[in-house]
Amino acid sequence: MTRAQQTISLALLVTSLYLSLYLGLIPLPAVVQEDIIPVLPFWSLVTFGAWLLFRLGWGMLTFRDTPEAYAELMDEIKLAKADLRVKGVDVD
Amino acid sequence: MAPAKSSTGGKDMYSVILPTFNERQNLPIITWLLNRTFTEQNLDWELVIVDDGSPDGTQEVAAQLVKAYSPHVQLRPRTGKLGLGTAYVHGLKFAKGNYIVIMDADFSHHPKFIPQMIKKMKEGDYDIVTGTRYAGDGGVYGWDLKRKLTSKGANIFADTVLRPGVSDLTGSFRLYKRAVLEKLFESTDARGFTMQMALAVTAKAKGYSIGEVPISFVDRVYGDSKLGGEEIVEYAKGVLQLWWSI
Repeated sequence: MTRAQQTISLALLVTSLYLSLYLGLIPLPAVVQEDIIPVLPFWSLVTFGAWLLFRLGWGMLTFRDTPEAYAELMDEIKLAKADLRVKGVDVD
Repeated sequence: MAPAKSSTGGKDMYSVILPTFNERQNLPIITWLLNRTFTEQNLDWELVIVDDGSPDGTQEVAAQLVKAYSPHVQLRPRTGKLGLGTAYVHGLKFAKGNYIVIMDADFSHHPKFIPQMIKKMKEGDYDIVTGTRYAGDGGVYGWDLKRKLTSKGANIFADTVLRPGVSDLTGSFRLYKRAVLEKLFESTDARGFTMQMALAVTAKAKGYSIGEVPISFVDRVYGDSKLGGEEIVEYAKGVLQLWWSI
């Protein structure tokens, strides 16, 4: 089953569940039926968008910078160049 | 999946396949680092350089390296810029090892992480071990905010659409069991820079196990980054294509 098939199947399932609620096929308290069900799709979309944005923001806050790795690498490059010249390899 | 024996006999051998294009400055140093790492760890290794007809003299330097580090280095050139994916396939034809390391030739991928990947693979008998910049104490040096946003954004996009179970999907620093890589090449048509993603997603779909090792990614010590608007569009298309086909 491809990712596309998985996603589409899940979407169809959720849609039909939602439709059954929207069309009143399952008895629900009036508050839920009139105020909550109709805005559920919109609310889910906004929540999903907010979740993605949160993940992005969190990723930015916790992004690790590695200056030590850079410093270490610069030293290694110096060592390498010296050794390579001895071995007859062109280095800048 | 038990690893096959290398064609050199009973011992394990690690083949690093390095596609290059205009890497004259980086290539000797990366070779030196690889030599140091593998020698320190007392591991049998080789480096297969696949150069796509670089005009900057990369092949001359490669020939010097073949001599200097004999018998570990081989140069397998191609006549033109034929692309990353086919470079790996080409390199694999000449590789003798039973474990394959895929990495970039600039210093963004440091060979010092290879022994950690090997250890991780043995610990969990993983089919693939991939370096990750986004988990554990993995990280990046040399990215401004815009680049970080683009990269993390791209990762979240791919993660949401593909749900691959790998924290760094576009990372291309990986250790593969040879048989696994061969199988994946057979079943993946993707050959652009999105091939790395395709390999990981296909591997997951086929039930291969993927382990992760945090790496530090030092970006572009020499040379310019090849990431522009066009690449981003191609990336998005690649992700959606994978979503549809795997």
